[in-house]
Formats: sequence, C-alpha cells, structure tokens
Amino acid sequence: MNATKPCPSRRGLLKILGAASGGLAVSRWLGLDLALGQDEAPGKAVETFTGPGPNAHWNSVGPYVTEPQKVPLLLLTDRPVQLETPRHYFRTAFTPNEAFYVRWHLEGIPNAVDLKNWKLQIEGNVNKPLAFSLLELMQKFKPVSLAAVNQCSGNSRSRLQPRVPGGQWGNGAMGNAMWTGVRLRELLDIAGIKKGSLQVQFQGLETGHGPQGLGSSIFLKSLDIGNPVLGECVVAYLMNGEPLPMLNGFPVRLVVPGYFATYWTKCLTWIRVLAASDENFWMKTGYRVPDTARGNTTPEDVKQGKVKTVPIGRLPVRSFLISPDGSCKIPAGMTVTLQGIAFSGFGRVERVEVSDDQGKSWMGTRLGDDYGAYSFRTWEGSWTPKSPGRYSLAVRATDEKNNTQSDEAVWNPGGYLWNRIERQEVVVGNAS
Amino acid sequence: MKNRVQSILLVVCGVAMAGLLSADLKKGYYSPAELGSLWQAKPVEHLPDSNYQVSEYPVPPVDLTRGDGLQDVQIYCNTCHSPRYITMQPPLPAATWEAEVNKMNKTFGAAIPEEDAQKIIRYLQAHYTPETRKQ
Repeated sequence: MNATKPCPSRRGLLKILGAASGGLAVSRWLGLDLALGQDEAPGKAVETFTGPGPNAHWNSVGPYVTEPQKVPLLLLTDRPVQLETPRHYFRTAFTPNEAFYVRWHLEGIPNAVDLKNWKLQIEGNVNKPLAFSLLELMQKFKPVSLAAVNQCSGNSRSRLQPRVPGGQWGNGAMGNAMWTGVRLRELLDIAGIKKGSLQVQFQGLETGHGPQGLGSSIFLKSLDIGNPVLGECVVAYLMNGEPLPMLNGFPVRLVVPGYFATYWTKCLTWIRVLAASDENFWMKTGYRVPDTARGNTTPEDVKQGKVKTVPIGRLPVRSFLISPDGSCKIPAGMTVTLQGIAFSGFGRVERVEVSDDQGKSWMGTRLGDDYGAYSFRTWEGSWTPKSPGRYSLAVRATDEKNNTQSDEAVWNPGGYLWNRIERQEVVVGNAS
Repeated sequence: MKNRVQSILLVVCGVAMAGLLSADLKKGYYSPAELGSLWQAKPVEHLPDSNYQVSEYPVPPVDLTRGDGLQDVQIYCNTCHSPRYITMQPPLPAATWEAEVNKMNKTFGAAIPEEDAQKIIRYLQAHYTPETRKQ
C-alpha cells in the first residue's frame, strides 16, 4: 500500500548510522534493539482488527503462527485452533496439507491418537453395529479417491455489513485436496440401516468443557438418510497422498463433496444412524441459513423473527483472483498473467470471466486441468493495461447449472454463504 | 589529446548520470521492527509404534485492554476458549456483546454468576465497540 511512502524518520545516533548502512544491522551490532522500535513498529504492521467496515484485505489480519505439521498460517484463534491459509497457496488446484486451513469448535482436540485403541464405530439404528481399525479400513475396502473443496461455512465472514460476530475469516478458510478412503455407503450397507431411520450422525474426537450434551461439550453433525450426497461421501485416511495432519482430522475425516466443511467431521470416530431427527445445538441452532435466495436476509427481519432457517448445505459458486495480488505495481504496456481458482458445490465450473471496467465488459479465461466437479478449477488469462492508473479487476464464475456470481452482497446473522464477485485493485505505473 | 578530453568528459558524464540514477533508487533500507519474525518449532521425535503424536498447540499471549472486569474475562472466558476470541472480533455494538455473553451462559452453560457476567459485559462494552475500540 505504501510502496512510495518515504522511510520513517529515526533519531539521534541511529539517524546517522542508519542513513549510512541500514538501521537494523547497525543497531544489532550495538545491542540497541530495545532502545529502538517500539514507537515505530506499529505503523508498519497491518491493523490488528478490521471493522466496523468490511475487511479490505484478501486474508484476515491475524499474526502468523506455526502450529504442528503446518507452515506459518494466519491465526484467528489458538484455543481451539483456527488458522487461515494465505492467498498465495491458492495458485495451484490442490492446497498443500501443511498450508490447509484449520477450524475447530471446542478446545479438546487430540495431540495424539493411538491406533492400537482407535476404531471407527458404526452404531445406532443398524442391524449390526461394527468397528474398524485403520488397518481394516485400508485393507478390507477398495480405496476411492476424489478431489473436493473443503470450505468453512464462514469463509469471508469479515466482508459482511453490518459485521457479525464469529471467526473473522478473510477468503482463506478453504482448500482443495485429493481425498482417498472408504465409501461411507459401503460401511452403512455392511452395518445395515434399519427401516424408519431418519439421519446419519457424525462425531469426532473433539470435546469441550461445557455441560454434557450441550454444544459446548460435543460437536455433532447429521445428514438426512435420503440425501444423495451420502452416496458420494468418503471416509478419508489420505489427503493429497499423505496421512491427514492432526489438525485436519487424523486418522480419518468425513468428506462430503460439494458441501460446506461443517459436515466434514474431523477425527471421525462415531457414525450413528438415528431414528429421530438430530436436535443438538450444531444442527438446530448453529450453521443454519435463511431459507431465501443466496441465504440473504436483513438485521430488521431477523429482529422481527421473520426468518425461517434451514441447515447450511452446498457451496455456492465462487472464483478468486490469486495473482496479481496488488503487492506490486504493473508497468503500463506489460502483458501479465491473471490466475486464480473457481469452484461450485452445485456442478462443474464452466466459465470464469474477468472485467477491468467495473463489469461493463467481461473477458473469457482458459480453464486449467479438470479434476472433477467438486475440485478447485484453476483459470488463467492475459491482461495488458495500456495506460497508468488504478484498475479494479473483477472475477466471476458460472457453473454447469448456470449458477453465476452476483455483485450483490450477502448478509445473514451467521455470516455464511458469501459469494459476491471478488475484486482486486491493481496500480499500473509508467514504464518510461 | 582530443581522445583524452573525450574520455574525461565521458567519465564525468557517467558519474553525473550515476548520481541521477541513485537519486531514484532507494536501496538497502532496513527497519528495526521485529515484524514477521518467528522461531522454527523443534521437530517431533516419533517412535515406530501405534501412537501418532504432535507437539502441543502454541498459545501466543493475547493483548487484552486493561480495565475493570479484565480479571473476570480471564477467569470465565478462558475456561472454554482463548480470549483471542474477543480480540479477533470486529468492533461490535454494545447489545451484541451483551447477547454474546448471555449466549455463553444460556446456550453453552458457562455458569458465570450473573454479577460477574454483567462485569464482563461492561468490560467488553467499554473497550470493544465501534465507539470504544482502539487499534
């Protein structure tokens, strides 16, 4: 942002030394670190929070933190762990495991799992309750692989106006991986779902300090027995060809292709067939969206109790410009590559378009390799800004069901389903 | 002789040009700020057994504003989650903070005594609303 801003002033001795050969090195030699800094550093850090206006950054503004099995990621919260993936990791169709975002609800998350004792249990309203070790899951069933986007329901929550409480994600609460494991359907078939069953409930190893049975002690999610997605779900023990990072759900995680991540139970340990509808907090109160187009409503309608809600479901179509990211100026006349990703939970992405004139005209882009309907699809285009100035690059995707991105904002009290057209300001300078 | 004059002129021009260029090039500016620096974590030593372990999850210090009620925040909020949940939020209206604290008690069973819950609400309203929050 302040690439042309002159260097901040320094004082006394440092002013003289610093001017010659660089303040940091010199001050280090002289052991002056403590005398320095304090009053200068904050001016250079990104703000520590955003709001009440929308977060203007692509990512959230938290500090970087290194968690086990991870590269430095953006910290939202540390207990339980919530980490956001920085923008540049989305240059490729598959998000590296070590950079994959993390979102837990309750603080009791495993640091260790002993596979001697751990078993995946299938129980409840079934003819034959079953339990499988990881070895049995790997050996008794034919492995299947599937590329699928995992996106947090609250991804981009920090864009909403008015702002809503919750994890203040930028755009990085998403990732795409090649998931390998056992088809959920096979496990359910062997156990035998009894007639009259309504839902399948999933529970992992996370626990909280709240009173037993409340949302603060246990995290439970369920899918309807009749939901065709149950036939596509995978109990995954491999993520991009590697064991899952502990923070992403080792030893196995439920993959629900096309659906928001709230259903993708981490450290999945209990699969429970229910004869009654799941009334727990995380189904009945949490993760619900207005039963309206794009999940839109207003604070006024919420206050008046007018809003009927349903459990959150599939991922609306989205697309992102990953590069250029605005961190450098582009010399006028230079042809640069525009690149990014797109996805939809409703069907294959068919088209990604870019506009540099506030949406008056849209230019097509080339789509990258196709890894299936539920994967990130990379896209690429060329762009030659002819004259210096400030440009706003907008990107929109359309899927095979003809769902396309709108330029209208989304608002609901949970801060879910944001999929407005994304924009990136780019500054073009003189080339001579 | 003529050649010598030319070459001297060239050198002089060259120096002048270099001066012009260096006026435009800002180079080697370093800042004393500690921003962006961090230490690498020590790799975990694994054993070839059935236990799969990672090291502990780090809890960096949270910079909560000092003021009345901070102690209650540290005692009660910390039970279930890091107070970073507070600093991560955008500035929220006073009524929203009240609703959040009440949700912890009523929905999540936090069992914060009413008097202390009120102190927490007043603390959050005093420091974390659009009117009161500071960078």
